[in-house]
Amino acid sequence: MGVSGALARLATRHAHLLVIEVPGHWLTRVAVERQAGVRGWRLAVSPADADILAVCGSPGPELALVVANLWEQLPGPRARIDVAAPELVAAALDQAEATLRDTPRQRRDSAGRDGPGRDEAPGGDAALAHGSEDRDGLEMDVLHVRLGPVLPDWPAGLVLRTHLHGDLIVEAQAGVVDVGQGGLAGGAPVVGGDTSGEARRPDAGELAAQRCDNVARLLALAGWSDAAGLARAIRDHLLIGERSAATTELARLRRRVRRSWLLRWSLRRVGLLPSDELARLGLAPNLTGDVWDRLNGMLDRATIAAGGPAGVAARGPAGVAAGGPTGVAAGVPVTPPAAVASVVSGWDVATARLIVASLDIAALGVVTDG
Amino acid sequence: MAEVPAAVSGGWAPVAAGLLGTLAVAAALLDGALAGRAAGVRSGMGRSAGEVARLLRQRRRTTVAADRLLWRIGGAGLLVMALMIVTVVPLGRWTLFDLDVGVVWVNALDVLAWAFVWLTGWGANSAYALVGGYRFLAHGLAYELPLMFALVAPAVAASSLRVGEVAAAQQGLWFVVWMPVAFVVYCLGVVAIAVWGPFSPALGRDVAGGVTAELSGVDRLLFLAGRYALLAAGAAFAVPMFLGGGAGPLLPAWAWVLVKATVLLAGLVWLRRRVPALRPDVFMEVGWLVLLPAVLLQDLLVAVVVIGG
Amino acid sequence: MVTHLVFWGLAVVAVLAGVAVFVVNSMARASYSLALSFIAVGLQVLLLQQLYVGVLVILMMVMEMAIMAVYMNMFMGMNPAMMSMNMVHGARHALPVSVGVFLLLAAGALFAPWPSRRGSLPEDVTAALGTELMGPKMLAMAAVGVVMAATIVSGVVLAAHRTRYDRFGDDLRRRPAADPQPGGVGR
Repeated sequence: MGVSGALARLATRHAHLLVIEVPGHWLTRVAVERQAGVRGWRLAVSPADADILAVCGSPGPELALVVANLWEQLPGPRARIDVAAPELVAAALDQAEATLRDTPRQRRDSAGRDGPGRDEAPGGDAALAHGSEDRDGLEMDVLHVRLGPVLPDWPAGLVLRTHLHGDLIVEAQAGVVDVGQGGLAGGAPVVGGDTSGEARRPDAGELAAQRCDNVARLLALAGWSDAAGLARAIRDHLLIGERSAATTELARLRRRVRRSWLLRWSLRRVGLLPSDELARLGLAPNLTGDVWDRLNGMLDRATIAAGGPAGVAARGPAGVAAGGPTGVAAGVPVTPPAAVASVVSGWDVATARLIVASLDIAALGVVTDG
Repeated sequence: MAEVPAAVSGGWAPVAAGLLGTLAVAAALLDGALAGRAAGVRSGMGRSAGEVARLLRQRRRTTVAADRLLWRIGGAGLLVMALMIVTVVPLGRWTLFDLDVGVVWVNALDVLAWAFVWLTGWGANSAYALVGGYRFLAHGLAYELPLMFALVAPAVAASSLRVGEVAAAQQGLWFVVWMPVAFVVYCLGVVAIAVWGPFSPALGRDVAGGVTAELSGVDRLLFLAGRYALLAAGAAFAVPMFLGGGAGPLLPAWAWVLVKATVLLAGLVWLRRRVPALRPDVFMEVGWLVLLPAVLLQDLLVAVVVIGG
Repeated sequence: MVTHLVFWGLAVVAVLAGVAVFVVNSMARASYSLALSFIAVGLQVLLLQQLYVGVLVILMMVMEMAIMAVYMNMFMGMNPAMMSMNMVHGARHALPVSVGVFLLLAAGALFAPWPSRRGSLPEDVTAALGTELMGPKMLAMAAVGVVMAATIVSGVVLAAHRTRYDRFGDDLRRRPAADPQPGGVGR
C-alpha cells in the first residue's frame, strides 16, 4: 500500500481534467478551470490525456451520449463530476480527488471494463467514403470528421460535420447540440450568462471576461500557451471583480501580442472577411479583416468593456445581431452556426480552428438551413 | 587540448544513458518550473514527478483497429534515437563510439523521427492523430534539408566527419562564431525532431493533442520522455559541432561539455514559452526559400574560407 | 568470431525481413519491413569497414521507406482498420521466378572464386572505393547529381496544376497572389 498509496497521492496532485461545457454554463466552466489551476491540475486535450471528466451544466440527450462515449475513452484511474453551478465547483473537485485517490475503487472500475481498454477514437475511426478532386486537381479520398462538440478551445455545443481532403476542409455543415431541448429557451444556446433559460443582461466585467476567454482560446490554438495563460488570468480577475489588476494585465497582454511579429506573421492574411461578406453571413460588422485584426479587435473590446482606456479608435462593444432568438440576453451578439461553417470551408483544420476562435463567439444561434 | 577523444569500452554505455537521462530530467524540471511560474502555481518543479506518477498509474489503452505493433514502436522510438545519438558525442577525452563518420550517423538517426512520429500518429487509427502525423511530415519537408546542410558546415571546416576531430578543429574560434546561420538552423532542426515548442503543431490542441491524442499511461510517458531526451541529445551534439567541445578555462573538458549542453538545453526549453507555433503551411516556404538558401550560402562561405586558408 | 556471428545474424534478419515484405498485409508494415531489411544490410556494410557507405545506406533507406509508406498510405487511403492487403500480385508466376533469382544470386555470391586480399587496407576506404568506382570521372558524377536534383525540381514545377498565371493573373500584376492559402514569405 505504501508505494502505490504514495504514487496515487502524487498522481492525484497533478490530475488532468477534460472539461465539457453545456451551452449556457460558461461561468461554471471558468470556475472549474480556475479552481483546477489553483490545485495545480491541468486541462486535458483529449480523453486519453484525462483523469477527470468534468461536465459543467446538465447535458441534453445528444450531449449526454457524447459524454458517455468520452467517459469510456478515459484510460483510468478516472472520475466523473457533474457541476451544476459555479459555487458547487470546490466540492465537486474534492469529490473527484477522493475518487481518484481511492485505489481499490479504481481497481474495481478497471476490472469491470471489458478488455484491455479498447476505445473508440474521438474523431471516429478514419473511415473513407468516396474520392473527389482536391484543390490541386488530384483525386483524393474524402474523410468525414465531426469537429466538436468536445474539443479543447472550441465554442460550447458547436458541431461541424466536415468533409476533409487530407486535413483540408472542403465542405462543412454546422449544428448545435441539443437544440430545442429544455433549458435552452428559443433554441439558442446562451453562452453569455450562467442561467438556465432566464435572460439576464451580463455586466460589463462579464462581457470583458468573455472576450478574454476567447482571446485565451485563440492564443492557445496559435501555440502560445504563456500568453493564453495570461489571458485566462485576466479573465479570472475580471470575474472576481479585481478590475484594476485586470486592466493593468490586459494592457500588458496587448503589448505582448502587438510586439510578437511571429504571431502577427502566423495570423496575418488568414480568414479574411470583408464587410459585405460579414453582412451576408449575419456576423457582427466589427469582425472585418483577418484573424490578426480580429484578435486585436477582441482585445480592444475587452479593454473597453473593462473600463480601461481604449487604445485605438474606439470600436464599440460587439454589435447586436438583429432578430436574435429569444432567450439570449440583450447585448450579446449571436453567431449563426451556418456562418461558422461557411468561413472555415477551404482552409485546413489548423487554420479553420484559428478562424473559428477569432469570431469571438458569445452565443450560437439556431440553425436555419437544412 | 587538441587531442582527439578515445573510445571507451561499451560497459560505459549505461553511464552515457544516465547522463542523457539526467539532462532530460533537468529539461523536464525546468519546463515544469517555467510552466508553473507562468500559471502562478507553486508546485512547478514537482510537475514532472507528478506527471510520471500519473502516467505510471494510468492504464494503457488502445483504439479500434489500431496497428498496435507499429504504433508502439513509433512511441518508444524517439527515446532509442536519442540514446543512439549520444553514443558519438565525446565527453571530453572519452567517447563511446569513435565512428569516423559520426556526423552522418547523427544525420541518419535524425531521419528516423520521420518514421517514428508518423507511425505514432498513423498507428492509432484516429483522425486527429493522423492529422498530427502528417503535420510533422510537413514540418519535416521544411526543416530536414536545411538541417542536413547545417551539419555540412562544421564537417567541411574540420575536413572530417569524426565528431571528435570536429570538436578539436575549433581551437582558436568556436564554429558558432563564424557559422551562426548553420548553428541557428541546427537548433531549429533539434527543436523540430523533438516536436518541441514552435514545432509542436503535430501535437496541437486544435487536433486534441494530434500524434499524442490516443496515447495514455506508459506509452505516453515513453513518447514524452523521448521528446525531452531528443532535445537533450541535440543540445549535447551541438557542443562538439559548434560550441568548441570541451574547450574552456579551469574546469576539465568533460565538465565543460556538460555545462555547455545544459545551457543550450535550457535555452531550447525556455524558447517554448516565448514563441507561438510555426504553422507547417506557412513554415514550408520559410524552410525552402529562406533557410535552405541561407544555409547553402553558409556552406559556400565555409568552403571558400577552408580552401583559401 | 563474434563479428562473423553478428554478420550472419544480420544476414538472416535481412532475408527474413525481406520475406516479411510479401507476407504482411498492409503497406505500412511492408514498407517498414523493407526498412528493417535495409538497416540490417547497412549494419553488415558497417562490419565490412565501409563505414560511410554503411551509414549512408541506413540514412537513405530509412528516409525512402518513410516517404514510401506515407505516399502509399496517402494514395491508397490506407488506415490500420483496412489492414488486409495482399502484397503479392500474380503469385503463380512471380513466386517461382523470384525464389529462383534469389537462389541464383545467392549461389553466385557463395560459389564465386573471390580474390584474396593483396596489399593492406587503404588509409581512407571510402575515398579508395570512390576512386576505384569512378576514377577520373568523379567531377562528372558530382555534376550529374546536381543535374538530377534540378531535373526533379523542374519536373515538379512543370507538372504543377497551378501556374504563375493562376497566381498573379494574366498580366502577372495581381498582388497579393491568389493562393488558396497564404504562404510564409508573402510572395
